[in-house]
Amino acid sequence: MARNKEKEVKSKIYIGSRTFDVVLYILMGLLSIVFIYPFLNVLAISFSGNSAIVTGQVTFFPRDFILDGYEMLFEDENIFQAYWNTIVIAAGSVVFSLTLTSMMAYVLMIPDFVMKKPLSIYLLITMFFSGGMVPGYLLIRNLGLFNTIWALILPGAISAYNVFVYRAFYKGISLDLREAAKIDGASEFGILARIYVPLSKALYATFGMFCVVGVWNSYMPALLYIKDKDRQPIQMVLRRIVFANGIGAMQNANDMINNGKLNYLNVQYACIIMTMGPILLAYPFVQKYFVKGMQVGAVKG
Amino acid sequence: MAKASKKAVVAIPKKSFWTRAYRQRALFLMALLPVVFIFIFQYVPIYGILISFKNYKGSKGVWGSAWLKPFYQNFLTFFKNVDCAKIIWNTLKIGTLTLLFTFPLPIVYALLINEMRGKTYKKIVQTISYIPHFISIVVVCSMLHGFCSLNGFFNDIRVLFDLERVNLNAGPTNFMIMYILSAVWQGVGWGSILYLSALTNVDTSLYDVANIDGANRWQKMKNIAIPAIMPTITIVLIMNVGNVLSSDYTKILLLQNSTNMEATETIATYVYRVGILEGRFSYSTAVNLFQSIVCFILVYGANAITRKLSPENSMW
Repeated sequence: MARNKEKEVKSKIYIGSRTFDVVLYILMGLLSIVFIYPFLNVLAISFSGNSAIVTGQVTFFPRDFILDGYEMLFEDENIFQAYWNTIVIAAGSVVFSLTLTSMMAYVLMIPDFVMKKPLSIYLLITMFFSGGMVPGYLLIRNLGLFNTIWALILPGAISAYNVFVYRAFYKGISLDLREAAKIDGASEFGILARIYVPLSKALYATFGMFCVVGVWNSYMPALLYIKDKDRQPIQMVLRRIVFANGIGAMQNANDMINNGKLNYLNVQYACIIMTMGPILLAYPFVQKYFVKGMQVGAVKG
Repeated sequence: MAKASKKAVVAIPKKSFWTRAYRQRALFLMALLPVVFIFIFQYVPIYGILISFKNYKGSKGVWGSAWLKPFYQNFLTFFKNVDCAKIIWNTLKIGTLTLLFTFPLPIVYALLINEMRGKTYKKIVQTISYIPHFISIVVVCSMLHGFCSLNGFFNDIRVLFDLERVNLNAGPTNFMIMYILSAVWQGVGWGSILYLSALTNVDTSLYDVANIDGANRWQKMKNIAIPAIMPTITIVLIMNVGNVLSSDYTKILLLQNSTNMEATETIATYVYRVGILEGRFSYSTAVNLFQSIVCFILVYGANAITRKLSPENSMW
């Protein structure tokens, strides 16, 4: 009797558990659609005809396929110039950031360096205090960097947090290698470039990617420091199109919108696709590095 | 004996500071460029905060500009401003409401992910949930703007419920909903990573024991998974509370328009508008300094609590 009852209870748990599994799988599937639907909807609408958009028929796939949204966008906005600007800023940022951070991290890693402690404090202070928006803006103006891409590259080149992560990574490389190289007559720069950099490829790949994605996605520095339209990065183009009535200045696009051939969403969404496209294409390859970085950051607090 | 030998070992490398410094001159050279960069781009702006107490004139520089009388005049001006209370209230309101949603949901999401058994399906779901995190704030706000417009996705949904199409980009309530909705959409998957990595460290024998005892899924979650992530929950909560004043102003600036100004003017957007657009450098720096001080107190206080609760997790 008792044993039967026990069995019954156990099978109840089992059935409850199975039902739970099914519900959970459906729920997580629906949530995944919520995460991904906005992208698909934007992509579909950017290629859809006006009448389908106005009547709200476009969901996952384009209807009445057209390319006019993209054509109009390319006619009035120099997207590829903006791409180029962004790439130059990203490349510059990567070079400056990796070089300066490596040099700082290297000297701070050497146990008997006489300035180790003072320089660590010098860095640490910048983690807790910053000048804020206006003093930074005035500095850029006074240095004559205003309206140049240097204003987007130099200020963020070195951050205390990155230096400390690099240093932690370098500490994993045996100091004996450095001693041996020194005996062979290598200079400090030589040791950094020929031993530490090659042994830290994973570090550089990860931080290089952080830097590129960060530059690609940021707009605030450009909003503050870049005035010329043709020097602005891609995010500023999108901002202009969507939030500063950029379509208003497009003559042909306006005509088409007034004729009912084109929807303003065609142009706006085309621009969204052009802005996030490269990131989404790179996503499958960079995703795991970012997740790892997040987990490392969690361990370090 | 032991003491003497230790002394002898220490005595050998103890050269004078200058001798050692001279030997390490290559290291000094290497540190020079980074140090100069940090000085120019981080210390000079910190020094520039001084202008909040001065009547800054570009031609005279930070040092040459005259001191205000009294030197805290700009702070008085801000606190006497009719909008001051509203701006501070908005900052707090946006911060707390966002925290209320963006803090618990990743925990729930992580627990649900943890309950999934199929490895491949789980991996796909996770990977998809991280995508929104990689999208720039301009893209997210542009999508919101499009979805809220008359022909957009949100209005398509309204039509399904027999509601008419309206411009959802207008008004303070809509702003609040969109701000929080997008923050949740972008942050749920990414925020769950911390909890999931804590959950993978759970000793699997705990689950075996629970199975033998006939515990059901809910009991296992309550008694094994949740206690396992409790430390992480505490840390994340405390850090978020410390940052409650630093709302994402880059996002607010994009979503801000004349119809929702009542709710969207926060300290940081005010600093941008008054400082950069209107050119009142001294005054806006003072407002920014006020925010930094309050933020610093909050973060410091939050960290003090962390140190009490779990010293190994505090930041300093």
